[in-house]
Amino acid sequence: MPRLRAATASFRHQASMFLAEPQWLIPNIIAPFVLAMVVLMLYREPSPEAVLYAVLGGGMMGMWGNTLYASGYSIQSDRWWGTVDAIFSAPSPLIWIIGGRTVWNAFIGIVNGLFVLVAAMLIFRTPLEVANFPMFLLAFVLTLLSLAALGMLFSAAFVLTRSAQVLTNGLEFPIYVGTGSMFPIFLLPYWTHPLSLSLAPTWGIDAIRYSALAGYAQGFRIGYWGDMLAMAALSLLYLVISIWLFKAVDRRARRTADLMRY
Amino acid sequence: MTSIHFRALTGKVITSNGIPSTGERGMDDREIVIDVRGLVRKYHSTTGVLHQKRRETVAVDHIDLQVRRGELFGLLGPNGAGKTTTIKVLTTLLLPTEGSVQVLGYDAVKQPMEVRKRIGLILGGERGLYYRITARQNLRYFADIYGVPIAIRDKRIEEVLARVDLLDKADVRVEDYSRGMKQRLHIAKGIVHDPELVFMDEPTIGLDPEAARDTRAMTKELVGEGKTILLTTHYMYEADELCDRVGVIARGRILALDTPSGLKALVKDTSVIEVEGFGLTEMDVESLRALEGVRTVAANMGEDKQTMRVQVEDPGGMLPRVAHILEDRKVIGMKVKEPTLEDAYLWLVREDA
Repeated sequence: MPRLRAATASFRHQASMFLAEPQWLIPNIIAPFVLAMVVLMLYREPSPEAVLYAVLGGGMMGMWGNTLYASGYSIQSDRWWGTVDAIFSAPSPLIWIIGGRTVWNAFIGIVNGLFVLVAAMLIFRTPLEVANFPMFLLAFVLTLLSLAALGMLFSAAFVLTRSAQVLTNGLEFPIYVGTGSMFPIFLLPYWTHPLSLSLAPTWGIDAIRYSALAGYAQGFRIGYWGDMLAMAALSLLYLVISIWLFKAVDRRARRTADLMRY
Repeated sequence: MTSIHFRALTGKVITSNGIPSTGERGMDDREIVIDVRGLVRKYHSTTGVLHQKRRETVAVDHIDLQVRRGELFGLLGPNGAGKTTTIKVLTTLLLPTEGSVQVLGYDAVKQPMEVRKRIGLILGGERGLYYRITARQNLRYFADIYGVPIAIRDKRIEEVLARVDLLDKADVRVEDYSRGMKQRLHIAKGIVHDPELVFMDEPTIGLDPEAARDTRAMTKELVGEGKTILLTTHYMYEADELCDRVGVIARGRILALDTPSGLKALVKDTSVIEVEGFGLTEMDVESLRALEGVRTVAANMGEDKQTMRVQVEDPGGMLPRVAHILEDRKVIGMKVKEPTLEDAYLWLVREDA
């Protein structure tokens, strides 16, 4: 299983690099936490349900910010280190290397999301009352994987550009809003809805809220399993497009010599 | 003037004895592991926004090259000659625009993964390693993605660390390494998966003499073990010491391809007047170049002291004329010497320009 080994090695490598650079705490933990707090402050004397709604959104924001940020940097940092030649000339397909790194990023996203969740609950003194914990956990993990799939899609696009930093910054807030992390997407203009619905985490967040909030009635009205199905279908689509994109990127990088420039 | 040695003038690479060569002259019947035929690599770039202009740069221009198993082949050339582009095509990092490239019997265009499994890439310079983690973590990662069997991975890492004398610093972050240690780690990274063929792109650049000597010693050891090496370098004495054969490349074309002694024989009819002095200027270099009977002049214009190597065919006749041009300068030494590989290289490159 050489491909799986490349993915697990890249997962471990990303972990080593992450733990060796404490400044990652700022974009990965502190910034999402502050953002979640800001959102919560906007609710004046919120009901416990509203707090849970916002806290879940805050957690998702942290997870998304982490995935996006790390996806954008997964090859960009190799350009900086000068290791991109060695990575690209390895006999392991690039998609498995990036895939392993993206799964680590998503994993850190879990830690990040849980940290925001617990901290916000402690600060707002909201008891953790999840309506259906097994379904909540399932939705949480699958939403995380859908984020990783979306991260893969962005990674493929970011591989060829030296402007990944600008793109990640530009995409951060639109996705927060578009996925309904900050507030329900029905509050957004109608023309934005197709964009929101094309993002797998939008459905995941809805499923999480179905499982966490008893009597949740603001969702897409296709229920928990409908959300999960839509999320899985979109995630699969992202993966298929990613595989195609990585092949195209590989070919283009060898043709144009873009990959090694930094 | 000796026989014409240039592809630029004849369309063929000519060696010291005037025999047209495609690279095989004097080679035995060992298996060919690098077989490049008619390699062309062009880069395209655009300038402007509204009225975009497309620019084409030919980095490699119809190169033919064959390297046999166990050989240490050197590629010499000035900056921008096409050395690194050639290595990138051979290591599957770039696609050729034209021509065929076979590496270890595999097509570098259609079977890149087969090629990648069997080659190692060693770069020179400060970059190319993950500084925030240790040498062992670096090697473990590269061993994994280069497919070293997991059962032997850790033992193999120990072996290469011992080999490059980094075992006692294996768990120190690379950012705390000296430049020489980083280069040794570069070598360890390039051979951790035990490749048959190793590409070394300027591995001694920026190293102090001792570290450069260690790197050359390790390079020799690798060849001694039967590995094939393709080396690019700017240092002529390095190529002279290490290489079985040398290709001189400039402006994307191979100008000459021979053994170091064969290349030196290209300038066997010449001598070198080496001048050392103070206050020598670029104008002096140009004046010497303009002298009839001077083939080429290489100069090292240091701030305190300057050195010139003036290639001439008739040293006895030329010495007074060179001295006359420099009579107002403070010349501290003027000697006639035998030409070196560097003189042959400079003559080839300058004549082509």
